Amino acid sequence: MKMNQNIDELLNSYIDGELAKGQQAEVQQLIANEPEIAVRLRQLEACKVLVSCLPRAEAPAETLQRMTASLQRRALSVQHPLSSEINESATYLLTRRIAAVAAVVGVVAVLAAVVYTMVAPGTSPDKLPAKALLAAADFSGRLELETSDFVRVDAFLNRAIEDNGLLDCLTSASLQDRKVYSLSCAKGHLNLLLADLGGIWQRFDSATLFVETEKFSEPVVVNAITAGQTTEILNQDSLKKCTAVAKDIAVLNNVAELMPGREVFAAMGDNGPGLMTIPKPVLTWKKKMAKDLESPAEKTERVSLTIVLAGSK
Amino acid sequence: MHSETPNINIRDAALVEQCQGGDSAAMESLILRYQNRIYNVILKICANPDDAAELTQETFVKIIESIDRFQGRSTFYTWAFRIAVNLTLNYCQRSAKLGLRSLDAEGYAHDTQARQVLREFLSDDSAPDPAAVAQNKELCEIAFESLMKLNDEQRTVVVLRDIEGMHYAQIAEVLDIELGTVRSRLSRARNNLREIIEAVCNEDESKYRRITE
Repeated sequence: MKMNQNIDELLNSYIDGELAKGQQAEVQQLIANEPEIAVRLRQLEACKVLVSCLPRAEAPAETLQRMTASLQRRALSVQHPLSSEINESATYLLTRRIAAVAAVVGVVAVLAAVVYTMVAPGTSPDKLPAKALLAAADFSGRLELETSDFVRVDAFLNRAIEDNGLLDCLTSASLQDRKVYSLSCAKGHLNLLLADLGGIWQRFDSATLFVETEKFSEPVVVNAITAGQTTEILNQDSLKKCTAVAKDIAVLNNVAELMPGREVFAAMGDNGPGLMTIPKPVLTWKKKMAKDLESPAEKTERVSLTIVLAGSK
Repeated sequence: MHSETPNINIRDAALVEQCQGGDSAAMESLILRYQNRIYNVILKICANPDDAAELTQETFVKIIESIDRFQGRSTFYTWAFRIAVNLTLNYCQRSAKLGLRSLDAEGYAHDTQARQVLREFLSDDSAPDPAAVAQNKELCEIAFESLMKLNDEQRTVVVLRDIEGMHYAQIAEVLDIELGTVRSRLSRARNNLREIIEAVCNEDESKYRRITE
Protein backbone atom coordinates (compact mmCIF):
# COMPACT_ATOMS: atom_id res chain seq x y z
CA MET A 1 0.00 0.00 0.00
CA LYS A 2 1.45 3.29 -1.08
CA MET A 3 0.79 6.18 1.24
CA ASN A 4 1.30 9.82 0.72
CA GLN A 5 4.80 10.80 1.81
CA ASN A 6 3.49 13.54 4.07
CA ILE A 7 1.07 11.12 5.76
CA ASP A 8 3.94 8.69 6.27
CA GLU A 9 6.10 11.39 7.85
CA LEU A 10 3.21 12.40 10.06
CA LEU A 11 2.55 8.81 11.12
CA ASN A 12 6.23 8.16 11.82
CA SER A 13 6.44 11.30 13.90
CA TYR A 14 3.33 10.19 15.74
CA ILE A 15 4.87 6.78 16.45
CA ASP A 16 8.08 8.38 17.63
CA GLY A 17 6.29 10.89 19.87
CA GLU A 18 7.69 13.83 17.92
CA LEU A 19 4.39 15.64 17.40
CA ALA A 20 2.93 18.46 19.41
CA LYS A 21 -0.22 17.69 21.36
CA GLY A 22 -2.46 19.36 18.80
CA GLN A 23 -0.94 17.36 15.96
CA GLN A 24 -1.23 14.18 17.96
CA ALA A 25 -4.94 14.78 18.38
CA GLU A 26 -5.33 15.40 14.66
CA VAL A 27 -3.51 12.16 13.83
CA GLN A 28 -5.56 10.21 16.31
CA GLN A 29 -8.69 11.56 14.69
CA LEU A 30 -7.35 10.68 11.25
CA ILE A 31 -6.57 7.12 12.35
CA ALA A 32 -10.00 6.74 13.80
CA ASN A 33 -11.70 7.96 10.63
CA GLU A 34 -9.43 6.43 7.98
CA PRO A 35 -8.99 2.63 8.15
CA GLU A 36 -6.20 2.69 5.54
CA ILE A 37 -4.23 5.10 7.63
CA ALA A 38 -4.79 2.95 10.67
CA VAL A 39 -3.41 -0.07 8.81
CA ARG A 40 -0.47 1.92 7.64
CA LEU A 41 0.20 3.04 11.16
CA ARG A 42 0.28 -0.56 12.36
CA GLN A 43 2.69 -1.49 9.54
CA LEU A 44 5.06 1.26 10.49
CA GLU A 45 4.81 0.39 14.16
CA ALA A 46 5.58 -3.25 13.39
CA CYS A 47 8.58 -2.17 11.38
CA LYS A 48 9.80 -0.01 14.19
CA VAL A 49 9.30 -2.72 16.79
CA LEU A 50 11.07 -5.25 14.63
CA VAL A 51 14.20 -3.09 14.47
CA SER A 52 14.11 -1.83 18.01
CA CYS A 53 13.84 -5.36 19.35
CA LEU A 54 17.10 -6.44 17.79
CA PRO A 55 19.35 -7.82 20.49
CA ARG A 56 21.80 -5.36 21.91
CA ALA A 57 25.40 -6.16 21.35
CA GLU A 58 27.96 -5.44 24.03
CA ALA A 59 31.38 -4.06 23.37
CA PRO A 60 34.25 -6.56 23.65
CA ALA A 61 35.64 -6.84 27.15
CA GLU A 62 39.08 -5.60 26.08
CA THR A 63 37.64 -2.29 24.90
CA LEU A 64 37.99 -0.73 28.31
CA GLN A 65 41.49 -2.16 28.75
CA ARG A 66 42.57 -0.63 25.48
CA MET A 67 41.01 2.64 26.44
CA THR A 68 42.64 2.47 29.86
CA ALA A 69 46.02 2.07 28.22
CA SER A 70 45.29 5.16 26.14
CA LEU A 71 44.19 6.97 29.27
CA GLN A 72 47.41 6.08 31.08
CA ARG A 73 49.46 7.45 28.22
CA ARG A 74 47.35 10.58 28.27
CA ALA A 75 47.61 10.85 32.06
CA LEU A 76 51.41 10.76 31.78
CA SER A 77 51.36 13.60 29.31
CA VAL A 78 48.98 15.55 31.54
CA GLN A 79 51.10 15.03 34.66
CA HIS A 80 54.28 16.30 33.07
CA PRO A 81 53.27 18.91 30.59
CA LEU A 82 55.28 21.64 32.25
CA SER A 83 58.50 19.67 32.45
CA SER A 84 58.21 18.59 28.86
CA GLU A 85 57.51 22.15 27.81
CA ILE A 86 60.49 23.34 29.83
CA ASN A 87 62.69 20.69 28.27
CA GLU A 88 61.54 21.70 24.83
CA SER A 89 62.16 25.35 25.58
CA ALA A 90 65.58 24.64 27.09
CA THR A 91 66.53 22.54 24.11
CA TYR A 92 65.38 25.27 21.79
CA LEU A 93 67.33 27.94 23.65
CA LEU A 94 70.43 25.77 23.87
CA THR A 95 70.25 25.08 20.17
CA ARG A 96 69.94 28.79 19.46
CA ARG A 97 72.91 29.60 21.69
CA ILE A 98 75.08 26.93 20.09
CA ALA A 99 74.10 28.23 16.68
CA ALA A 100 74.96 31.79 17.73
CA VAL A 101 78.36 30.77 19.14
CA ALA A 102 79.07 28.75 16.02
CA ALA A 103 78.19 31.75 13.88
CA VAL A 104 80.50 34.04 15.89
CA VAL A 105 83.34 31.51 15.72
CA GLY A 106 82.79 31.22 12.01
CA VAL A 107 82.89 34.98 11.50
CA VAL A 108 86.06 35.27 13.60
CA ALA A 109 87.67 32.45 11.65
CA VAL A 110 86.82 34.11 8.36
CA LEU A 111 88.15 37.46 9.57
CA ALA A 112 91.31 35.79 10.85
CA ALA A 113 91.80 34.09 7.51
CA VAL A 114 91.30 37.38 5.70
CA VAL A 115 93.75 39.20 7.98
CA TYR A 116 96.27 36.39 7.69
CA THR A 117 96.00 36.50 3.92
CA MET A 118 96.66 40.23 4.00
CA VAL A 119 99.67 40.16 6.30
CA ALA A 120 101.23 36.75 5.78
CA PRO A 121 104.89 37.09 4.67
CA GLY A 122 105.67 36.11 1.13
CA THR A 123 102.12 35.92 -0.05
CA SER A 124 102.16 39.38 -1.57
CA PRO A 125 105.25 41.48 -2.12
CA ASP A 126 103.25 44.66 -1.96
CA LYS A 127 101.81 43.91 1.42
CA LEU A 128 103.55 44.80 4.62
CA PRO A 129 104.35 42.38 7.42
CA ALA A 130 101.98 42.36 10.31
CA LYS A 131 102.63 43.41 13.86
CA ALA A 132 102.70 39.80 14.85
CA LEU A 133 105.68 39.31 12.65
CA LEU A 134 107.30 42.42 14.06
CA ALA A 135 106.98 41.03 17.50
CA ALA A 136 108.86 37.93 16.46
CA ALA A 137 111.72 39.77 14.78
CA ASP A 138 113.96 42.69 15.76
CA PHE A 139 113.95 43.91 12.22
CA SER A 140 111.42 43.49 9.51
CA GLY A 141 111.59 45.20 6.20
CA ARG A 142 111.31 45.04 2.48
CA LEU A 143 114.19 45.84 0.16
CA GLU A 144 113.09 46.75 -3.33
CA LEU A 145 115.86 46.56 -5.90
CA GLU A 146 115.59 47.49 -9.55
CA THR A 147 118.14 46.46 -12.10
CA SER A 148 118.47 46.47 -15.84
CA ASP A 149 120.52 43.30 -15.59
CA PHE A 150 117.80 41.29 -14.00
CA VAL A 151 118.90 37.82 -15.04
CA ARG A 152 122.47 38.10 -13.84
CA VAL A 153 121.58 39.84 -10.64
CA ASP A 154 118.91 37.27 -9.91
CA ALA A 155 121.35 34.46 -10.54
CA PHE A 156 123.86 36.13 -8.26
CA LEU A 157 121.28 36.58 -5.54
CA ASN A 158 120.23 32.96 -5.75
CA ARG A 159 123.79 31.81 -5.46
CA ALA A 160 124.46 34.13 -2.55
CA ILE A 161 121.40 32.81 -0.69
CA GLU A 162 122.55 29.28 -1.28
CA ASP A 163 126.16 29.98 -0.31
CA ASN A 164 125.08 31.55 2.95
CA GLY A 165 122.89 28.61 3.88
CA LEU A 166 119.66 30.57 3.74
CA LEU A 167 117.65 28.18 1.59
CA ASP A 168 115.90 26.80 4.64
CA CYS A 169 114.81 30.30 5.64
CA LEU A 170 113.65 31.29 2.21
CA THR A 171 110.28 31.64 0.64
CA SER A 172 110.44 32.83 -2.93
CA ALA A 173 107.92 33.71 -5.55
CA SER A 174 108.22 34.69 -9.20
CA LEU A 175 105.95 37.30 -10.61
CA GLN A 176 105.85 38.80 -14.09
CA ASP A 177 108.83 41.13 -13.94
CA ARG A 178 110.07 40.55 -10.44
CA LYS A 179 111.16 37.96 -7.97
CA VAL A 180 110.38 38.01 -4.31
CA TYR A 181 112.69 36.49 -1.72
CA SER A 182 111.33 36.40 1.79
CA LEU A 183 113.97 35.63 4.35
CA SER A 184 113.40 35.02 8.02
CA CYS A 185 116.72 34.12 9.51
CA ALA A 186 119.44 34.92 12.00
CA LYS A 187 120.74 38.44 11.84
CA GLY A 188 124.27 37.22 11.17
CA HIS A 189 123.30 35.23 8.14
CA LEU A 190 121.48 38.16 6.64
CA ASN A 191 124.55 40.32 7.21
CA LEU A 192 126.62 37.89 5.17
CA LEU A 193 124.07 37.97 2.38
CA LEU A 194 124.04 41.76 2.35
CA ALA A 195 127.81 41.78 2.27
CA ASP A 196 127.71 39.66 -0.85
CA LEU A 197 125.06 41.88 -2.38
CA GLY A 198 127.21 44.90 -1.64
CA GLY A 199 129.59 43.63 -4.31
CA ILE A 200 127.00 44.10 -7.04
CA TRP A 201 125.10 47.03 -5.49
CA GLN A 202 126.18 49.33 -8.34
CA ARG A 203 124.11 47.21 -10.70
CA PHE A 204 120.92 48.33 -8.97
CA ASP A 205 119.25 51.26 -10.62
CA SER A 206 117.37 51.90 -7.47
CA ALA A 207 117.34 50.48 -4.01
CA THR A 208 114.63 51.29 -1.52
CA LEU A 209 114.26 49.89 1.97
CA PHE A 210 110.94 49.85 3.75
CA VAL A 211 111.51 49.42 7.46
CA GLU A 212 108.48 48.27 9.40
CA THR A 213 107.67 50.25 12.50
CA GLU A 214 105.40 49.63 15.43
CA LYS A 215 102.67 51.42 13.55
CA PHE A 216 101.02 49.11 11.13
CA SER A 217 101.35 50.07 7.46
CA GLU A 218 103.51 53.06 8.26
CA PRO A 219 107.00 51.95 7.29
CA VAL A 220 110.06 54.20 7.13
CA VAL A 221 111.03 54.52 3.49
CA VAL A 222 114.72 54.84 2.82
CA ASN A 223 115.44 55.73 -0.80
CA ALA A 224 118.77 55.11 -2.52
CA ILE A 225 119.92 52.92 0.29
CA THR A 226 123.21 51.12 0.17
CA ALA A 227 124.08 47.65 1.39
CA GLY A 228 126.05 49.16 4.26
CA GLN A 229 123.15 51.30 5.37
CA THR A 230 120.83 48.32 5.24
CA THR A 231 123.18 46.34 7.42
CA GLU A 232 123.52 49.17 9.86
CA ILE A 233 119.78 49.45 10.23
CA LEU A 234 119.11 45.79 10.77
CA ASN A 235 121.96 45.42 13.22
CA GLN A 236 120.29 47.66 15.76
CA ASP A 237 119.32 45.76 18.89
CA SER A 238 115.70 46.83 18.96
CA LEU A 239 112.95 47.69 16.58
CA LYS A 240 112.80 51.17 17.96
CA LYS A 241 116.46 51.77 17.20
CA CYS A 242 116.07 50.24 13.77
CA THR A 243 113.31 52.69 13.06
CA ALA A 244 115.29 55.66 14.36
CA VAL A 245 118.41 54.85 12.33
CA ALA A 246 116.31 54.21 9.25
CA LYS A 247 114.69 57.60 9.58
CA ASP A 248 118.08 59.31 9.91
CA ILE A 249 119.46 57.57 6.87
CA ALA A 250 116.29 58.32 4.92
CA VAL A 251 116.74 62.04 5.59
CA LEU A 252 120.39 61.96 4.66
CA ASN A 253 119.75 60.08 1.44
CA ASN A 254 116.94 62.40 0.46
CA VAL A 255 119.18 65.45 1.02
CA ALA A 256 121.90 63.82 -1.03
CA GLU A 257 119.45 63.22 -3.85
CA LEU A 258 118.53 66.90 -3.87
CA MET A 259 122.09 68.24 -3.83
CA PRO A 260 123.08 70.26 -6.97
CA GLY A 261 125.49 68.75 -9.44
CA ARG A 262 124.02 65.31 -9.24
CA GLU A 263 123.13 65.41 -12.96
CA VAL A 264 126.76 66.11 -13.78
CA PHE A 265 127.97 63.14 -11.84
CA ALA A 266 125.40 61.03 -13.55
CA ALA A 267 126.67 62.16 -16.91
CA MET A 268 130.17 61.12 -15.87
CA GLY A 269 128.96 57.57 -15.96
CA ASP A 270 130.66 54.90 -14.01
CA ASN A 271 133.57 57.05 -12.95
CA GLY A 272 131.83 57.46 -9.71
CA PRO A 273 131.37 60.31 -7.44
CA GLY A 274 134.21 62.69 -6.88
CA LEU A 275 134.86 65.25 -4.25
CA MET A 276 131.45 66.79 -4.71
CA THR A 277 129.66 63.62 -3.83
CA ILE A 278 127.58 63.96 -0.74
CA PRO A 279 129.22 61.72 1.79
CA LYS A 280 126.99 59.09 3.10
CA PRO A 281 127.21 57.92 6.67
CA VAL A 282 130.47 56.17 7.35
CA LEU A 283 129.98 52.60 8.28
CA THR A 284 132.22 50.33 10.14
CA TRP A 285 129.99 47.33 9.77
CA LYS A 286 132.61 45.08 8.19
CA LYS A 287 134.74 45.33 11.23
CA LYS A 288 131.80 44.92 13.47
CA MET A 289 130.43 41.97 11.58
CA ALA A 290 133.24 39.59 12.44
CA LYS A 291 132.78 40.51 16.04
CA ASP A 292 129.01 40.15 15.84
CA LEU A 293 129.17 36.71 14.34
CA GLU A 294 131.20 35.56 17.26
CA SER A 295 128.37 36.45 19.61
CA PRO A 296 126.06 33.43 19.80
CA ALA A 297 123.29 35.47 21.36
CA GLU A 298 123.09 37.86 18.43
CA LYS A 299 123.54 35.03 16.00
CA THR A 300 120.22 33.70 17.04
CA GLU A 301 118.44 37.06 16.71
CA ARG A 302 115.81 36.68 14.05
CA VAL A 303 115.27 39.24 11.34
CA SER A 304 112.89 39.30 8.47
CA LEU A 305 113.69 40.82 5.13
CA THR A 306 111.81 40.57 1.88
CA ILE A 307 113.93 41.34 -1.14
CA VAL A 308 111.96 42.32 -4.19
CA LEU A 309 114.16 42.17 -7.29
CA ALA A 310 112.58 43.85 -10.29
CA GLY A 311 113.74 44.60 -13.81
CA SER A 312 114.12 48.27 -14.70
CA LYS A 313 111.72 49.69 -17.26
CA MET B 1 14.21 2.48 23.35
CA HIS B 2 16.31 4.32 25.87
CA SER B 3 14.29 6.54 28.08
CA GLU B 4 17.30 7.84 29.98
CA THR B 5 18.74 9.75 27.04
CA PRO B 6 17.53 13.23 28.04
CA ASN B 7 18.63 12.68 31.62
CA ILE B 8 22.23 11.81 30.99
CA ASN B 9 23.36 15.34 30.31
CA ILE B 10 23.89 16.47 33.89
CA ARG B 11 25.99 13.48 34.85
CA ASP B 12 27.89 13.67 31.55
CA ALA B 13 28.67 17.35 32.02
CA ALA B 14 30.25 16.69 35.40
CA LEU B 15 32.31 13.79 34.07
CA VAL B 16 33.45 15.78 31.07
CA GLU B 17 34.56 18.61 33.31
CA GLN B 18 36.55 16.18 35.44
CA CYS B 19 38.08 14.66 32.31
CA GLN B 20 39.15 18.08 31.12
CA GLY B 21 40.83 18.55 34.49
CA GLY B 22 42.91 15.45 33.84
CA ASP B 23 40.79 12.99 35.84
CA SER B 24 41.34 9.66 34.14
CA ALA B 25 38.80 7.95 36.40
CA ALA B 26 36.12 10.24 35.03
CA MET B 27 37.11 9.34 31.51
CA GLU B 28 36.92 5.69 32.45
CA SER B 29 33.42 6.29 33.76
CA LEU B 30 32.40 7.88 30.49
CA ILE B 31 33.83 4.98 28.55
CA LEU B 32 32.00 2.46 30.68
CA ARG B 33 28.86 4.53 30.35
CA TYR B 34 28.90 4.64 26.58
CA GLN B 35 31.03 1.84 25.22
CA ASN B 36 28.20 -0.67 24.79
CA ARG B 37 25.79 1.83 23.29
CA ILE B 38 28.34 3.17 20.86
CA TYR B 39 29.52 -0.30 19.94
CA ASN B 40 25.92 -1.41 19.39
CA VAL B 41 25.13 1.49 17.09
CA ILE B 42 28.35 1.05 15.15
CA LEU B 43 27.71 -2.68 14.77
CA LYS B 44 24.17 -2.11 13.53
CA ILE B 45 25.52 0.28 10.90
CA CYS B 46 28.63 -1.55 9.76
CA ALA B 47 27.44 -5.14 10.48
CA ASN B 48 30.91 -6.47 11.25
CA PRO B 49 31.74 -7.20 14.92
CA ASP B 50 35.52 -6.90 14.48
CA ASP B 51 35.26 -3.65 12.58
CA ALA B 52 32.73 -2.39 15.11
CA ALA B 53 35.18 -3.11 17.94
CA GLU B 54 37.94 -1.27 16.09
CA LEU B 55 35.68 1.67 15.31
CA THR B 56 34.50 1.83 18.92
CA GLN B 57 38.07 1.99 20.15
CA GLU B 58 38.90 4.57 17.52
CA THR B 59 35.90 6.61 18.63
CA PHE B 60 37.03 6.68 22.23
CA VAL B 61 40.59 7.47 21.31
CA LYS B 62 39.29 10.44 19.36
CA ILE B 63 37.09 11.46 22.27
CA ILE B 64 40.05 11.26 24.65
CA GLU B 65 42.26 13.23 22.31
CA SER B 66 39.76 15.99 21.79
CA ILE B 67 37.95 16.13 25.13
CA ASP B 68 39.90 19.27 26.04
CA ARG B 69 38.46 21.03 23.00
CA PHE B 70 34.88 20.02 23.81
CA GLN B 71 33.16 23.30 24.67
CA GLY B 72 29.70 22.03 25.51
CA ARG B 73 27.93 23.66 22.57
CA SER B 74 26.26 20.29 22.14
CA THR B 75 25.79 17.57 24.73
CA PHE B 76 28.58 15.09 25.24
CA TYR B 77 26.13 12.39 24.24
CA THR B 78 25.47 13.78 20.74
CA TRP B 79 29.12 14.84 20.38
CA ALA B 80 30.35 11.32 21.12
CA PHE B 81 27.84 9.71 18.79
CA ARG B 82 28.67 12.20 16.08
CA ILE B 83 32.28 11.06 16.24
CA ALA B 84 31.23 7.41 16.23
CA VAL B 85 28.78 7.77 13.34
CA ASN B 86 31.15 9.84 11.23
CA LEU B 87 33.93 7.30 11.69
CA THR B 88 31.55 4.47 10.87
CA LEU B 89 30.07 6.10 7.77
CA ASN B 90 33.55 6.92 6.52
CA TYR B 91 34.49 3.32 7.08
CA CYS B 92 31.39 2.17 5.18
CA GLN B 93 32.24 4.43 2.26
CA ARG B 94 35.81 3.19 2.13
CA SER B 95 34.68 -0.42 2.37
CA ALA B 96 32.10 0.06 -0.37
CA LYS B 97 34.71 1.61 -2.64
CA LEU B 98 37.10 -1.24 -1.96
CA GLY B 99 34.36 -3.80 -2.42
CA LEU B 100 34.89 -5.15 1.08
CA ARG B 101 31.21 -5.09 1.98
CA SER B 102 29.13 -7.79 0.36
CA LEU B 103 25.84 -7.29 2.15
CA ASP B 104 23.96 -6.62 -1.05
CA ALA B 105 25.06 -9.92 -2.46
CA GLU B 106 23.64 -11.84 0.45
CA GLY B 107 20.37 -13.57 -0.29
CA TYR B 108 17.73 -14.67 2.10
CA ALA B 109 17.89 -18.24 3.13
CA HIS B 110 15.19 -18.42 5.72
CA ASP B 111 13.00 -21.41 5.90
CA THR B 112 9.27 -21.41 5.32
CA GLN B 113 8.49 -21.40 9.02
CA ALA B 114 10.48 -18.21 9.57
CA ARG B 115 8.74 -16.47 6.72
CA GLN B 116 5.38 -17.56 8.02
CA VAL B 117 6.16 -16.14 11.46
CA LEU B 118 7.16 -12.86 9.87
CA ARG B 119 4.04 -12.76 7.71
CA GLU B 120 1.84 -13.28 10.73
CA PHE B 121 3.68 -10.61 12.63
CA LEU B 122 3.19 -8.07 9.86
CA SER B 123 -0.46 -8.91 9.26
CA ASP B 124 -1.39 -8.87 12.93
CA ASP B 125 -3.88 -6.07 13.42
CA SER B 126 -3.11 -5.87 17.10
CA ALA B 127 -0.27 -3.82 18.45
CA PRO B 128 3.07 -5.67 18.05
CA ASP B 129 4.54 -7.16 21.18
CA PRO B 130 8.20 -6.23 21.33
CA ALA B 131 8.98 -8.90 23.90
CA ALA B 132 7.63 -11.61 21.64
CA VAL B 133 9.65 -10.31 18.73
CA ALA B 134 12.84 -10.14 20.75
CA GLN B 135 12.45 -13.77 21.77
CA ASN B 136 12.01 -14.88 18.18
CA LYS B 137 15.45 -15.46 16.78
CA GLU B 138 14.23 -15.87 13.19
CA LEU B 139 12.46 -12.53 13.24
CA CYS B 140 15.51 -10.81 14.62
CA GLU B 141 17.73 -12.27 11.92
CA ILE B 142 15.34 -11.15 9.20
CA ALA B 143 15.04 -7.73 10.76
CA PHE B 144 18.80 -7.34 10.98
CA GLU B 145 19.40 -8.50 7.42
CA SER B 146 16.62 -6.24 6.16
CA LEU B 147 18.14 -3.33 8.00
CA MET B 148 21.44 -4.02 6.31
CA LYS B 149 19.76 -3.74 2.94
CA LEU B 150 19.05 -0.06 3.50
CA ASN B 151 21.57 2.39 2.24
CA ASP B 152 23.99 3.85 4.79
CA GLU B 153 22.09 7.13 5.28
CA GLN B 154 18.71 5.49 5.86
CA ARG B 155 20.13 2.69 7.98
CA THR B 156 21.92 5.20 10.19
CA VAL B 157 18.84 7.26 10.85
CA VAL B 158 16.80 4.15 11.65
CA VAL B 159 19.49 2.82 13.97
CA LEU B 160 19.80 6.13 15.81
CA ARG B 161 16.04 6.38 16.25
CA ASP B 162 14.83 2.82 16.74
CA ILE B 163 17.88 1.20 18.31
CA GLU B 164 19.61 4.05 20.14
CA GLY B 165 16.33 5.84 20.80
CA MET B 166 17.43 9.35 19.91
CA HIS B 167 14.99 12.19 19.43
CA TYR B 168 14.81 13.73 15.97
CA ALA B 169 16.65 16.80 17.18
CA GLN B 170 19.49 14.70 18.51
CA ILE B 171 19.69 12.77 15.24
CA ALA B 172 19.81 16.07 13.38
CA GLU B 173 22.67 17.16 15.62
CA VAL B 174 24.59 13.92 15.26
CA LEU B 175 24.23 13.80 11.49
CA ASP B 176 24.46 17.58 11.11
CA ILE B 177 21.29 17.74 9.03
CA GLU B 178 17.99 19.62 9.27
CA LEU B 179 15.17 18.32 11.43
CA GLY B 180 12.92 18.06 8.37
CA THR B 181 15.57 15.97 6.66
CA VAL B 182 15.56 13.60 9.61
CA ARG B 183 11.79 13.33 9.38
CA SER B 184 11.71 12.61 5.66
CA ARG B 185 14.74 10.35 5.68
CA LEU B 186 13.35 8.27 8.49
CA SER B 187 10.00 8.03 6.75
CA ARG B 188 11.59 6.80 3.52
CA ALA B 189 13.81 4.42 5.45
CA ARG B 190 10.92 2.79 7.26
CA ASN B 191 8.93 2.57 4.07
CA ASN B 192 11.81 0.86 2.32
CA LEU B 193 12.39 -1.39 5.27
CA ARG B 194 8.78 -2.41 5.23
CA GLU B 195 8.97 -3.26 1.54
CA ILE B 196 12.19 -5.22 2.03
CA ILE B 197 10.62 -7.27 4.79
CA GLU B 198 7.51 -7.91 2.70
CA ALA B 199 9.73 -9.02 -0.15
CA VAL B 200 11.39 -11.48 2.21
CA CYS B 201 8.00 -12.81 3.24
CA ASN B 202 7.02 -13.31 -0.39
CA GLU B 203 10.43 -14.63 -1.43
CA ASP B 204 10.37 -11.92 -4.06
CA GLU B 205 14.04 -11.30 -4.49
CA SER B 206 13.56 -9.21 -7.60
CA LYS B 207 11.38 -6.79 -5.68
CA TYR B 208 13.87 -6.68 -2.87
CA ARG B 209 16.61 -5.84 -5.33
CA ARG B 210 14.57 -2.97 -6.78
CA ILE B 211 14.10 -1.58 -3.30
CA THR B 212 17.74 -1.66 -2.43
CA GLU B 213 18.93 -0.27 -5.73
